[in-house]
Amino acid sequence: MLSVQNIVKQYVAHRALDDVSLEVQKGKIFGLLGPNGAGKTSLIRIITQITAPDSGQVLLKGERLNTSHIGNIGYLPEERGLYKKMQIGEQILYLSKLKGLNTAEATRRIRFWFEKLDMVNWWDKKVEDLSKGMQQKVQFVATVLHSPELVILDEPFSGFDPVNADLIKNEILELNEQGTTFIFSTHRMESVEELCDDIALIHRSKKVLDGSVEAIRDRYKSNTYAVSYSGAFDQALASGIFEVLQTEPARSATTMNIKISEGRTANDVLALLLNHVQVYSLNEVVPSMNEIFIEHVRKTDQES
Amino acid sequence: MSKISLIIRREYFSRVRKKSFIIMTFLTPVIIAFFYGLIFYFSYKEIKDSHDRIVVVNENTTLTEPLASDKNIQYTYSQEPLATLKKKIDKAGFDYILYLPDFDISAPRGIQLFGSKQAGLSLNNRVADDVEAQIRNYKLRQSGITQQQLDKLSSPVTIDTKKLGDAGKEEDSSAGASTIIAFVAGVLMFMFIMLYGVQVMRGVIEEKTNRIIEVMISSVKPFQLMMGKIIGIALVGLTQFMLWIVLTMAISTVAVGLFVGKDEAKKMAQTGVNTPGNALPGQDAAQKSPVEGIQKSLAHLEVGKILGVFVFFFLGGYLFYSSLYAAIGSAVDSETETQQFMMPVMMPLLFGYALSLSVVTNDPYGQVAFWLSMVPFTSPIAMVVRMPYGVPAWELALSMGILVLGFIGTVWFAARIYRVGILMYGKKASFREMIRWFTYRA
Repeated sequence: MLSVQNIVKQYVAHRALDDVSLEVQKGKIFGLLGPNGAGKTSLIRIITQITAPDSGQVLLKGERLNTSHIGNIGYLPEERGLYKKMQIGEQILYLSKLKGLNTAEATRRIRFWFEKLDMVNWWDKKVEDLSKGMQQKVQFVATVLHSPELVILDEPFSGFDPVNADLIKNEILELNEQGTTFIFSTHRMESVEELCDDIALIHRSKKVLDGSVEAIRDRYKSNTYAVSYSGAFDQALASGIFEVLQTEPARSATTMNIKISEGRTANDVLALLLNHVQVYSLNEVVPSMNEIFIEHVRKTDQES
Repeated sequence: MSKISLIIRREYFSRVRKKSFIIMTFLTPVIIAFFYGLIFYFSYKEIKDSHDRIVVVNENTTLTEPLASDKNIQYTYSQEPLATLKKKIDKAGFDYILYLPDFDISAPRGIQLFGSKQAGLSLNNRVADDVEAQIRNYKLRQSGITQQQLDKLSSPVTIDTKKLGDAGKEEDSSAGASTIIAFVAGVLMFMFIMLYGVQVMRGVIEEKTNRIIEVMISSVKPFQLMMGKIIGIALVGLTQFMLWIVLTMAISTVAVGLFVGKDEAKKMAQTGVNTPGNALPGQDAAQKSPVEGIQKSLAHLEVGKILGVFVFFFLGGYLFYSSLYAAIGSAVDSETETQQFMMPVMMPLLFGYALSLSVVTNDPYGQVAFWLSMVPFTSPIAMVVRMPYGVPAWELALSMGILVLGFIGTVWFAARIYRVGILMYGKKASFREMIRWFTYRA
């Protein structure tokens, strides 16, 4: 769907993007992750043709990015903005006509979305009369109204209350099911990791990590599990099967973090434990994207 | 529909529908008409009030011919003794008492003018002139000259100014009318360029602070957005200008009628402008009044041509300056930051304005006038100021051409700064920074 190839963007004082390449597959939700100032917004601005790269190229469906692609892309910038004095219906109409829709079609779609998102009486309202969360909804509708094949959302859930965030999340998933490709850009990784199929980590203008969420997680798995049980357990028995990293006794149950030894599996652990204690649960400890990110960044920082 | 026309429509309609626009558009002509009417009213009243009523107590036995009244002074004769009149002066319908004792006409002495207020110098001179004229007439009659011969002695003089047009054709002209038109046009032009240029700047800042700019720029090119805004606001300006002209004319006509009444306005136009002092008895009653003259030369001023030139130079000057304003707007985060950039942009306009209304109106064909109306920074104002005095066709064409090149230049220059500036946040812009933006690759 989208292929970013060796993009370099140089500003006067610093290099915002340094040889960044990534691939976004059609129909996937792609997470562009990284701390503030890493270069995410610079990259998005290049994809949305707001700015041009110094070198490298972006291909959309195999074609070099050009103005005919504007109607194929929907963009919700991090800094949300609308004309304050303009009526909402008219405003969305205006924005979607700039994307190439005609008035009749745009009006029909606005009505459809207004109904869907509980905004039926909003047409004549002015933006300045809306709450911030309501404005976000308006902006989301404006972003997807022209049915773009690729939707880029910068910090998609910031500013939404939990109810509306959920509403929007469902809309995103529904659109995704219909084939729309999404790019999320965020520094709050926990907010998107459950939605993303693939991610790329940007740090200090460089892409430091990318791949499917599953593959990355697998790579960062350390064979650690958390076991919760009651009863007395002699840690000496575990020798050869697992290593206890930490125990946390509580009144009802003890929780202990263990690392399973090479060649052993969770089944071996269970087999041993079942003979001695009452086991309540055994879960694999999966690193969060945030942890992976922090670890990775620490590693690259040390290297450099 | 093309994107730029969509932008133009939005910029236009969002402004034209604003309450402030509607109020300004309809109120301004009302205010202008109100003041216009007020001026008429007061000048009319002034004439009425300045009518000095003088009671003459004539004890002179030789000067029996009554002093002639006119619109400025009204002489009435009274048989009552001076002492009684003096007591009545505040209550009775007169302002002054002129006392003419029985003096020797070869050496008039003891003439007195009484009033509850001090008679002004002009009134004093005027009365003295009248009495002198009467004495002179008396003496002339004594030496055998008839009244008819006396009347023939004075021939009132008025000068018609004629401008020789192309091929020596005579045209009625009036320095007064040209100057009035020049001033009005100059002030309007200055006001319009400032007003609408600043609107462009505000619009750009609004988009930037609202952060809608990023959404817009992902749909349209920065140049389209900038030009759409500039053209949309230009159309707002033209709409307002046209409405003002139509409304001002309509309302003024009504207002003058209301304030003064038709007959009185007419009367005033005829009487209000005769200069005092030379209104001798028997003077040609059908003397052409200057107001009539101005009206006549207005008709010859080719108002259509002046309007057309005004609109052209408004558009040219507006495009020239508003693109610079757009560049300023793009470089700042809020309106308070615009000050340092506004000055250099405003200076040439102010300079042109000041010189146009002083030097150019005094010498509309001089060197200064010529150069001011050529340089695109000042030509929009200087040229409309020169227009009523007449400008050779080649100069007009040259100035227009330079202005067109000028605004193409500023639009190009501004667009390069604009495309970078609109995406810059939180950076304090400086001229050096802006020059650097100018050289950026898009």
